[in-house]
Amino acid sequence: MVELQNVSVTYSSGVDALNNVSLKINDGDFAFVVGSSGAGKSTMIKLLLKEIDATSGVVTVNGYNLGKLKKRKIPEFRRTLGFVFQDFRLIPSMTVYENIAFVLRVIDAPLKYIRKRVPYVISLVGLHSKTNSYPDELSGGEKQRVAIARALVNDPQLIIADEPTGNIDPELSYEIVELLKGINDQGTTILMVTHEHDLVRHFGGRIINITGGEIVFDEVISGVDEVLPEEELAQAMAEASSVSNTGNIILPDQRIMTPNGEYADADRNGGAE
Amino acid sequence: MKISGFKYLANQGIENIWKNKMMAFATFCVLLISLLLVGGSALFYYNMNSMILGLGNQNEIAVYLNPSTETLRVQQIQAQLENMDNISSVEYISKEEAYNRMQNQIQQGKAIFDYIDSYEFMPDGFKVTVVSNDLIEDTTAQIGSIEEVQSASSSPQVAEFLRELRRVVSIIAIAVIIALSAVSMIMISNTTKASVFARREEIQIMKYVGATNAFIRTPFFVEGMVTGFFAGAGAFFITWAVYRAIFRILMDQGTLVRAFGVGSIIPFDKIQLWVALAYLIVGSLVGALGSVISTRRHIDV
Ligand SMILES: Nc1ncnc2c1ncn2[C@@H]1O[C@H](COP(=O)(O)OP(=O)(O)OP(=O)(O)O)[C@@H](O)[C@H]1O
Ligand SMILES: [Mg+2]
Repeated sequence: MVELQNVSVTYSSGVDALNNVSLKINDGDFAFVVGSSGAGKSTMIKLLLKEIDATSGVVTVNGYNLGKLKKRKIPEFRRTLGFVFQDFRLIPSMTVYENIAFVLRVIDAPLKYIRKRVPYVISLVGLHSKTNSYPDELSGGEKQRVAIARALVNDPQLIIADEPTGNIDPELSYEIVELLKGINDQGTTILMVTHEHDLVRHFGGRIINITGGEIVFDEVISGVDEVLPEEELAQAMAEASSVSNTGNIILPDQRIMTPNGEYADADRNGGAE
Repeated sequence: MKISGFKYLANQGIENIWKNKMMAFATFCVLLISLLLVGGSALFYYNMNSMILGLGNQNEIAVYLNPSTETLRVQQIQAQLENMDNISSVEYISKEEAYNRMQNQIQQGKAIFDYIDSYEFMPDGFKVTVVSNDLIEDTTAQIGSIEEVQSASSSPQVAEFLRELRRVVSIIAIAVIIALSAVSMIMISNTTKASVFARREEIQIMKYVGATNAFIRTPFFVEGMVTGFFAGAGAFFITWAVYRAIFRILMDQGTLVRAFGVGSIIPFDKIQLWVALAYLIVGSLVGALGSVISTRRHIDV
């Protein structure tokens, strides 16, 4: 479970990256976080990993109040979640097997369990033949699948993914999200930051749009590939607390409507990527 | 942590040496050079000290009797000396012994002895050691006043000079050793920092998956310790070879050099155990701590 209550983050440089954000993601949810470049998405992720602390507000992840978490409790907290990043973050000197097994060694899991569990998650992500390869010997998509295997080997309550498809081919992106969806079906909460509107449109689900450090849209929509009934779309638009501070309205399909009824390009609105 | 957990981490530390061969080799070299610099100066100082001590038998009084003194009287005088205050030992040196010593000391002029066929002209004597150097002059005078004593001599000025020399040499040596240790610390710290810096991402990833600091540091500790141990062993063998070579050269120089106290240079066999232990322990400790301390900057994420 993830909960932000009136959270603001101001970097030491003076940039207000998040501004009074409140958000709750329940156990078992799958949520996409979208928004233009520099909107504050990664800042939110860093907050959830306790890489940074909130300037104000309360951040609760898996029952830990991160603002009050003692330094020596951080490892214990981090073991309750998995992470997947755009840049994979695999340890180059370790094989695929060791990279994944490491997470279990950290929690002092019995060797017998490690020997069973690691090959199992490797086969889940379809990398059986690469068990003893080093990260340098893998393609981007393969590396990301190793990262996903590592994130789930520990059976975490929550997996946090910051643009996991950012460095891999668009066709492979669908595969990665399918993989995460499959993990979500087993009950793991997943929070995924992405830039790829096609993905969001395709899969649908809970969409959280952060713009300028604020949540401007937070709704569940069905995949747009399935034709959205007219009334439902209208209702989603009506209910969407999606009026940004400029008065723009963000539509469920990520297009932005200006106050005078015209469409604006979402990316141009938020600045260049 | 379970035993199996520790075994895994220790193995990781040793594997890391292979995986980061270049950095491990750099650390090894820096540790080796540092140990040699500091160890070499310490050994140099140790020998200087021993040489200076050997130069002056600072707390000795050389006592010579009249050559004609009878054996019974010689024994009486010995008993008298042994009963005096401030005297710790009395060693009798017979005419014959004195003659042999002289012959040994004047190697180059050995031919002289071809003309002297008797040691009867030599006096009997004693080598007297005093308890307190401060009273040596009084004691010398006291011995000198004994009948049949031809001369009693000590050299308090020489002793004083040598004491001062030792003091100065010690101060210089300690300063040099401290300076070299400081320079070594800086070199070692920079090398281990560079070695750890190259792996900072690895450390961060480990932190993200929930590894404790101790878990991350144990391999670094083992890695540093093993590297340091080998550097200590290397330093020992180099010292062993160089020390023995120098020792042999000096010992082959004969009496002239020996006069400067070179005879008091300590043979390596006598100290090799301590040298080896010092190198291995200091090497392992500095290697391990250097590597662990260097992780500090990257581990707080
Ligand atoms: N360490 C930092 N110090 C100072 N400012 C920062 C730091 N990290 C991010 N920022 C600023 O905070 C704002 C939000 O950045 P953030 O990385 O959260 O954006 P983002 O939504 O993840 O963007 P992108 O989609 O490009 O990854 C930006 O203006 C950025 O310049
Ligand atoms: Mg980002």
